[in-house]
Amino acid sequence: MTASRQLHIKFFAVLREQAGVSTLAVTTSARTPAELYAELAATRGLTLPVALLRVAINDRYATMDTPLSPGDRVVFIPPVAGG
Amino acid sequence: MFELTDQPIDFAALRTRLARPDAGACVVFEGWVRNHHAGKPVSRLEYEAFDELARLEGEAITSEAEQEHPGCTVLCVHRTGSLGIGELAVWIGVVSPHRHAAFLACRQVIEEIKRRLPVWKKEHHSGNLAEWVNCTTESVAGRLAPENYYARQASLPEVGAAGQVRLAEASVLVVGAGGLGCPAALYLATSGVGRLTLADAGKVEVSNLHRQILFTADDVGAAKATVAAARLRAQNPLVKIEAHASDVTPANVRALVTGRTAVLDCTDNFATRFLLHDACRAAGVPLVSAAVYRFEGELNVFAPHQTGCLHCLWAGKPALSLETAANCDGGPVFAPTVGLLGVMQAAETLKLILGLSTPADLTSTRLVNLLDASTQSLERPADPTCPVCSKVVTSSAAEDGSFSLNTLNDSVVLTAEQVVDLGPVQTIALLEPGETLDAASAPANTMAIAMADLGRLREVAAKGPTVLTCRHGLRSVALARLLRAEGRPNIHALAGALSAIRPGR
Repeated sequence: MTASRQLHIKFFAVLREQAGVSTLAVTTSARTPAELYAELAATRGLTLPVALLRVAINDRYATMDTPLSPGDRVVFIPPVAGG
Repeated sequence: MFELTDQPIDFAALRTRLARPDAGACVVFEGWVRNHHAGKPVSRLEYEAFDELARLEGEAITSEAEQEHPGCTVLCVHRTGSLGIGELAVWIGVVSPHRHAAFLACRQVIEEIKRRLPVWKKEHHSGNLAEWVNCTTESVAGRLAPENYYARQASLPEVGAAGQVRLAEASVLVVGAGGLGCPAALYLATSGVGRLTLADAGKVEVSNLHRQILFTADDVGAAKATVAAARLRAQNPLVKIEAHASDVTPANVRALVTGRTAVLDCTDNFATRFLLHDACRAAGVPLVSAAVYRFEGELNVFAPHQTGCLHCLWAGKPALSLETAANCDGGPVFAPTVGLLGVMQAAETLKLILGLSTPADLTSTRLVNLLDASTQSLERPADPTCPVCSKVVTSSAAEDGSFSLNTLNDSVVLTAEQVVDLGPVQTIALLEPGETLDAASAPANTMAIAMADLGRLREVAAKGPTVLTCRHGLRSVALARLLRAEGRPNIHALAGALSAIRPGR
């Protein structure tokens, strides 16, 4: 059983609209951003496939399989192209 | 087409020459000789042109207008010789299928003729007094002194006179004249970026007007790049604005970005973004990229030798899926979001040119949210598997984040300090008819040559590094560029006017 950890999540652009909030604090057993996004997609109704997203951990872009640590600040970023 | 003539202009015949069955509009401008100038009565005028240069420049001006205003045919005739009051000095006719383009092209031609055509006029006043007037000082650009236009900017310690010269020497391409491109280009033009090219194949639509601030209701249906260029020329006649009213494609992207100081990605799709990014990397040009979604936007500056590139962010993700995901909501836009991000693009571009960019500016994504007025910076680390930038051998300059633009520009216009750095040079004071050189107050080793004597100028320039000066500091730059185009890399122009040149009586 994996220990649960508290994370600070921020959604950008269309993900923010789908999630209904800009920021969110969650307690989760997710070990990676990919696992975290799967959880959030289910609870928050996020429709974009994880393969199309970027994630940043603590103000730095990271990969979806980067291990998460308690207190991490996680930003999910969809592709944006309006101009 | 451009012609010089010493005979009276037969405008009826010229109008016939322009006739075209598909033309729905003919806009004509006539410049007349008037009986007064600067508060003094004038009895007649004499025009003198430096033939070879005037024909070349006139032809360049009319063909530029035809290229920028597709569908327009331009005919311009300028008089030389002696003219009486009321006589035609210049005639410009433009025909086009629609009036809007014809008005814009005609206005552009007369302003460029006034600004660039090497023509001098001698005004005869009553009592046999006569004086030579440089026509360029009568153009809108000629009446604006750069030191006044940029006064409030050049007085910033971070800019200064040297920074203003760097801006004047810069060449920037803005791709996309929409919500981002309009404000970005506006501030680049007013800040004095010397050459600005706007690329957009689109036409102005009513639904653009709430955010694309260079366009008015009158412009609906006209080519965006052309209208925006005309608007920017009116805003700052001191800079060169070009319109590329067609798409940026794999076939033309290299020619468009090569030699630029910076390129702005103000597009609304990933396909063009990747195309620009890769062309800029190959050409060693920084790309300033922005994108928005409703109340949020992101900004990236991709320096050409820096890791953490666009591919590190989005490579491997299918382009079509990116477009679909990015545009999944049909495109509502909060106008201030594109306004803010476009202005931020202008600021980052000016910082690149002025050498004010911080290492973080070149290695971060800036996120902005106008709903809660928050901003965030995300560091873009290199993806070690990136197919594009992981292969780049980083130089020490790229590693410490300081990216120098100096190597990209071979400066034509130099400050006095930069001239000293050149070592021994021949300084030339270009004199217009009636002007004299006060040798005592001129820089050492200054030689006076008549502006029209191109042969003598070429002869002197062939001997070694040469710096051109003139009374207003405009014609010297034009001649330096002309001689450079002939393959003389050692020729420069001194920034600003040379006060040691005294005007004619």
